[in-house]
Amino acid sequence: MRSTLIRQLAIALIGVVFVASGCNLGGDDDDDGGEAGGETQTQTQPGQTGGDLLQTVTSRGRLICGVNDAVPGFGFVTEGGDFEGFDIDYCRAVAAGILGDPEAVDFRPLTAEQRFTALQAGEVDVLIRNTTWTSSRDGSEGARFLTTTFYDGQGMMVQADSEFQELEDLDGATICVLSGTTTELNLAAQFEARNLDFEPLSFEDNDPLQQAFQQGRCEAWSSDLSQLAGIRSNWPDGEGGPEALRILDVTMSKEPLGPVVADGQEDFADAVNWIVIATIQAEEFGITSENIDEQLNSEDPEVQRFLGQPVEGEPFDPGLNLDAEFAANVVRAVGNYGEIFERNVGPDTGLGLERGLNALWTEGGLHYPPPYR
Amino acid sequence: MSTSPLQEPIPVPEEGQPITQLGPREWARQNLFRTWFDTALTVVFSLILAWALYRAGRFVFFTGRWEIIDRNLTNLLVFRFPRDELWRVWTGLFVLAGTFGVAAGSAARTRDQAVAEGRVAPPEERLVLRRFGPVLLLVAVLLYFAGTLSAFLLTAGVAVVAVAARFAGYRVPPNRAGWGFAVGILGLVAAFTVILGFGGVGWDRWGGLMLTIFLAVGGITISFPIGVLLALGRRSTFPAVRVVCVGYIELIRGVPLITVLFMGAFMLGFFLPPGTETPSLETRALVALVVFTSAYVAEIVRGGLQSVPRGQIEAAYAVGLSPLRTTALIVLPQALRAVIPAMVGQFITLFKDTSLVAIIGLTELLGVSSIVTSQPDFLGQGLIFETLVFAAFVYWVGSYSMSRESQRLERRLGVGQR
Repeated sequence: MRSTLIRQLAIALIGVVFVASGCNLGGDDDDDGGEAGGETQTQTQPGQTGGDLLQTVTSRGRLICGVNDAVPGFGFVTEGGDFEGFDIDYCRAVAAGILGDPEAVDFRPLTAEQRFTALQAGEVDVLIRNTTWTSSRDGSEGARFLTTTFYDGQGMMVQADSEFQELEDLDGATICVLSGTTTELNLAAQFEARNLDFEPLSFEDNDPLQQAFQQGRCEAWSSDLSQLAGIRSNWPDGEGGPEALRILDVTMSKEPLGPVVADGQEDFADAVNWIVIATIQAEEFGITSENIDEQLNSEDPEVQRFLGQPVEGEPFDPGLNLDAEFAANVVRAVGNYGEIFERNVGPDTGLGLERGLNALWTEGGLHYPPPYR
Repeated sequence: MSTSPLQEPIPVPEEGQPITQLGPREWARQNLFRTWFDTALTVVFSLILAWALYRAGRFVFFTGRWEIIDRNLTNLLVFRFPRDELWRVWTGLFVLAGTFGVAAGSAARTRDQAVAEGRVAPPEERLVLRRFGPVLLLVAVLLYFAGTLSAFLLTAGVAVVAVAARFAGYRVPPNRAGWGFAVGILGLVAAFTVILGFGGVGWDRWGGLMLTIFLAVGGITISFPIGVLLALGRRSTFPAVRVVCVGYIELIRGVPLITVLFMGAFMLGFFLPPGTETPSLETRALVALVVFTSAYVAEIVRGGLQSVPRGQIEAAYAVGLSPLRTTALIVLPQALRAVIPAMVGQFITLFKDTSLVAIIGLTELLGVSSIVTSQPDFLGQGLIFETLVFAAFVYWVGSYSMSRESQRLERRLGVGQR
């Protein structure tokens, strides 16, 4: 008698649990809708209330920037525990442009797998994390790519005393790559297209890969050209120094890297975009972090307009919902594009990169800022 | 000289006596060079051992390029914790040293009282150095790399406070056993408050060894009670409770930890009521570790529960204990005592599994070890070996100390002896 009562009670309880959990699940769906109508509306309903994120960032007073913490020259952590690098400087530039303070950034290190999820979930405002602009990422990851800050490409490095000159010479060779990257896929595609054979040797990290390369377990090393250049210029003297290595004159893929925001944040996207453009424009105008105060009194009306100084009584407002002097703030905080480049990845740094494709259009590069007017 | 133990296993004292009196030469002949086969094995393995020691010693003392550790010590310990807020960490350490010292002293007093009254067998004399050796070695290594007087003085201060607090705690009347425990918990709360509260440093700036320890200690202390409850629930006579507990345990045990971490990192937000702010990544990682570990703890505890003879429970009922008191006073103490080795094994696993949080973007000790090689000064020199050896050493100290403490606990509780 008693046991049947308990059994009935138990069944009833299980039923309640299931119903409750069902309700909860249904409730969750409703919550999403409710939330979409509130705070995160801009993510799901583009266009209607664009600019919400820009307002959110402004009222929060902090920018949350998704970064990489282990790419030499682009994003890493110093001994003092601070983030530093090319991408990091762009986070600071965005903070300086929107909030007027380059220190008002919270850096959120993200893994390659995480980055788009974090962007869509609104955990980061902007992703500046050596991310290649591709059509499917733009299309199906809900990401919006902005002006490219760094033009990279995939290259191939061999020992200087080897006879390899072009890709065709590497037929049947063993090639070291990092696993799980587009590098691996590009390599396969390139060799397939040329009808060549190769043996890939994949590693999780650069250090074991470097050891394998030194021991001659692979004949060539394929990676982004910027990374290869950095590895070459830091090659240990015991192994012959940089002269012991040669980077082949082939570019196997295009890797335009730049900031990414979530789809539908129109005002915020415009703001970030024009802050990036401002750094390039500043270099074109010859405005640096050192001469910015003199340039504020420049005779050139274009420069005056760019720096938000009154031209015929009124400072120029392009309608970006940014401070009229945002470009001046950006340049004062991080300098122009050339300064950012030289400071983090230029010839005097560990990476020792030449400008190459990353020069201004006036000097044969690809950086061509749209006019500011 | 000694007879074969197979023939005469019984008279242990007679056999034990001559062995202790052997001189080193005689001992070596007896144990290492008894037959030509023994001799060959001894020679071969000594050579291998000597070679390994030589290589390890050469790496540690000569060829290892430890500058990267030297210059990144703060990063390895606390990572991005703001440098001008480090006094909070030191204050937390002082608070912990004081409160845990009092707790340890009070526990020692209670134990000594029990020994004096003959309720408990006196513990074997153990050398302090042997118990704390690895930790002291770690502290010495850290101080060597820190190389500053202030770090040395602060560490010495922490040690002095701990010892003084232990003697102070020893003066607490022994019948207030729960008192020391309460002080320990209070110390943990106070240390957290010092670091987090009053304009302190949020969890998003925690990292390095500090985050590893936080996740491990938090995971262990929270998953243990949950695991015990789940184990009891699984043995419940009430079907609804049993079904829920079995379902939870089997579901979680059927999923890899990485999956649970990913779920915690990306999906926890969907299960929370609307309007609540999504908790920090650190909190989510901790929740995932607790969810995962408590299922394993539950199964370990269940093994212990099954080892308690049915007669114990019946006897408890016979003297009039309620089911709740039977469980709390008769069943659980025996069950938990029996599973100490497995439980500590699980906690050591958890301690090392905290390194997996790197995949959701947290940077604990192992994460820091692998990213500091990206700094311009250390680029492309293969320094990952030095940083990984350092991380391995720290993990070893933690795991070995936990294992030693559990052996001590087992000895004191007489596991395997009665």
